[in-house]
Amino acid sequence: MVRGFSVSVWLLASTAPFVGVATADATRDAASAMPQDGVTITTVNYTIPPVHLVRETGQSVLLTQELDDGRPVIMNFIFTTCETTCPLSSQTFAQFQSRLGPEDRRVHMVSISIDPEHDTPQRLRAYANKFHAGPQWQHYTGTLRDSLAAQQAFGAYRGDKMGHTPLTLLRAAPGEPWTRIEGFVTPDQLLHHYRRLLAAR
Amino acid sequence: MKAPTIVRTLAALCALSLGAVSAAGEPAQPQASAVPIGESIYRFGALPGGEPLRGERASGVPVEGASAACVNCHRRSGLGAAEGRGFIPPITGQFLFHPRVSSRDDSDLPYVDGARINRDPFTEETLARAIRQGIGAEGKPLSVLMPHYALDDAEMAALVDYLKHLTKTQVPGVSDSVLQFATIITPDADPVKAKAMLSVLDDYFDEKNAAARAVSPRLRSYHKMMFRATRKWRLHVWKLTGPANTWEAQLQEHLAAEPVFAVLSGIGGKNWAPVHHFCEQAELPCLFPNVDLPVVAENDFYALYFSRGVLLEAGLIAHQLQEQPHWSAVRRLVQVYRADDIGAAAATTLAGESHRSGLEIVRRVLRAEAGSGLSSALKDIGPGDDLVLWLRPKDLAALGNHPVKADGVWMSGLMGALEHAPLPSAWRSGTHMAYPFDLPDKRRIRVDYPLGWFRIRKVPVLDLQVQADTYLACGLLSETLNHMVDTFVRDYLIERIESMLEHRIITGYYPRLTLAPGQRFASKGGYMVHFAEPTGAKLMAEGDWTVP
Repeated sequence: MVRGFSVSVWLLASTAPFVGVATADATRDAASAMPQDGVTITTVNYTIPPVHLVRETGQSVLLTQELDDGRPVIMNFIFTTCETTCPLSSQTFAQFQSRLGPEDRRVHMVSISIDPEHDTPQRLRAYANKFHAGPQWQHYTGTLRDSLAAQQAFGAYRGDKMGHTPLTLLRAAPGEPWTRIEGFVTPDQLLHHYRRLLAAR
Repeated sequence: MKAPTIVRTLAALCALSLGAVSAAGEPAQPQASAVPIGESIYRFGALPGGEPLRGERASGVPVEGASAACVNCHRRSGLGAAEGRGFIPPITGQFLFHPRVSSRDDSDLPYVDGARINRDPFTEETLARAIRQGIGAEGKPLSVLMPHYALDDAEMAALVDYLKHLTKTQVPGVSDSVLQFATIITPDADPVKAKAMLSVLDDYFDEKNAAARAVSPRLRSYHKMMFRATRKWRLHVWKLTGPANTWEAQLQEHLAAEPVFAVLSGIGGKNWAPVHHFCEQAELPCLFPNVDLPVVAENDFYALYFSRGVLLEAGLIAHQLQEQPHWSAVRRLVQVYRADDIGAAAATTLAGESHRSGLEIVRRVLRAEAGSGLSSALKDIGPGDDLVLWLRPKDLAALGNHPVKADGVWMSGLMGALEHAPLPSAWRSGTHMAYPFDLPDKRRIRVDYPLGWFRIRKVPVLDLQVQADTYLACGLLSETLNHMVDTFVRDYLIERIESMLEHRIITGYYPRLTLAPGQRFASKGGYMVHFAEPTGAKLMAEGDWTVP
């Protein structure tokens, strides 16, 4: 699925003492800090799989059409019963949304459930309300197969939902490469990358 | 210090802020009437007076109230969790204040993934600094996941006191050589199914103990750790008697006389609620009982189920009904069940999920004795009606060979004996059966594991589904305990099952099992099927696996 990879890689280490990626084994005896505290940024091309997902409204939609509607896209993967990584990721989206202000209508914020069998449209609506998601921010569920296809296409699949790692994807417009941000990005960093992507067009 | 208490209104507020409404829309049980301040901060993110706990992460993202509660990451046990590629560390007093050791061999700490033992111990001062400023015992910043909390000195003292006492490793039902478990049989359980379940449990425990060594030695080195974890398993069968309103008292007596670490499997009939509530009250894990009508309260913690049973079937039927082309023309939905049986609850769920204007939902309640009243209940069924049968095999067999002329006929697979349902031949091809398991062809390899084991152990197969589920429950417990090594903590057992279950490949009758905090039903969907032939057990699926 990944056509081109790693146009550029750099690390943001302003707030974090521990940068980079470590395996679970390597952290076994030194794991009081999560290894993802640093942020890794790459530029990647992805092929969007031809799957149907279901919005929190219950409407079935094609993922390609959702992502290729012309607006810049900012995307993450969440599940509603997650109590650690996902709430932080969603709160970061919420802060990003409020920092954009009225400009938020120009962007499409996309959160795809990695636990689609539990995350019914009704549960996604409750989750979206908790983070005050505006009309530009949609949450998606679907069949397990389709959710898996979406996760795999964007390199977000980690074997199971408990193994997930924080990931944010940004794209300025259809056909352009994606900016892949791994780790806990701050709302300010997210806004910075979003603006830079738009300015580069 | 003696922790001050917070009034009942705060506890109720905590329950609300946790979103304590069950999936069925019923309010969950309120929390304990008075919660100590430390516990209230840790578990509910609530400060004295009802103010929400507030914090901010290093990234500038604020957290508040229930979302800010320590329990979200560090879990109810305080023993943390594996998360992504890292770990949420344990934060019980035992770990926080433990002197630095360079290797596990030098410590008496139980084994917990992500515990960092080769570091300076926290003091009360450095712990307060960690909680307020996100700085670790050695002066380095903690993970960005860790918020910096605004707590005053009294609140901090209460929280630290709570952490000091959190999770005693000495729990009932655990000794150096034996782990005690119970299984529960209610008097309304089917005696054949109860016998089927017990035959599996007895043999599983025998096999487990045949492999276990006599007395586990004290831990001296890492390679002995797994050895130390091999304790014998002992099973207590708690057979309840009399009316349901006496069961909780009976269970309390059993638990007092025979303290156990957890309840494993079990079998119910029409009413499992007293057992569920007992386990919740006693903070006793109740792992995967054989019940067709479980209690839906996903904010409860201690009872885990394979599925929502007949309530899942009701969801499947509701979903499928509405997918039918003739749905808008259906005038009446007629549900038939026996007065004292679990079909009543399923019918209520189905009625709630099938509501549409112009649709009349009719209940035909038969008297409790099987065999009576069925033909008159079906007499006026005809075109424009959809009929739902929440009936047991005896009633199904008595349907006769002149099917009603309804637009659609639906039935419960769980109540009707699944592919062995004695449906008269004329009804077989036209009746849609809810089937909350994987299809026989698709699960064959997964069910071969228990079947092979039954053969080798000479366990008679009396009810394959019940026995496969019981065997699966035993396997899940065994596997989870292996990973827990010597950390026998009841809350931690539940937490580990929650996070490990999704890895399990051999899942018996189910295509996939998953849980999470706030998820108590491991398999979420099912099929609609009908009989493929006038006789025999062959089924035809009417669509894909569906999660209603």
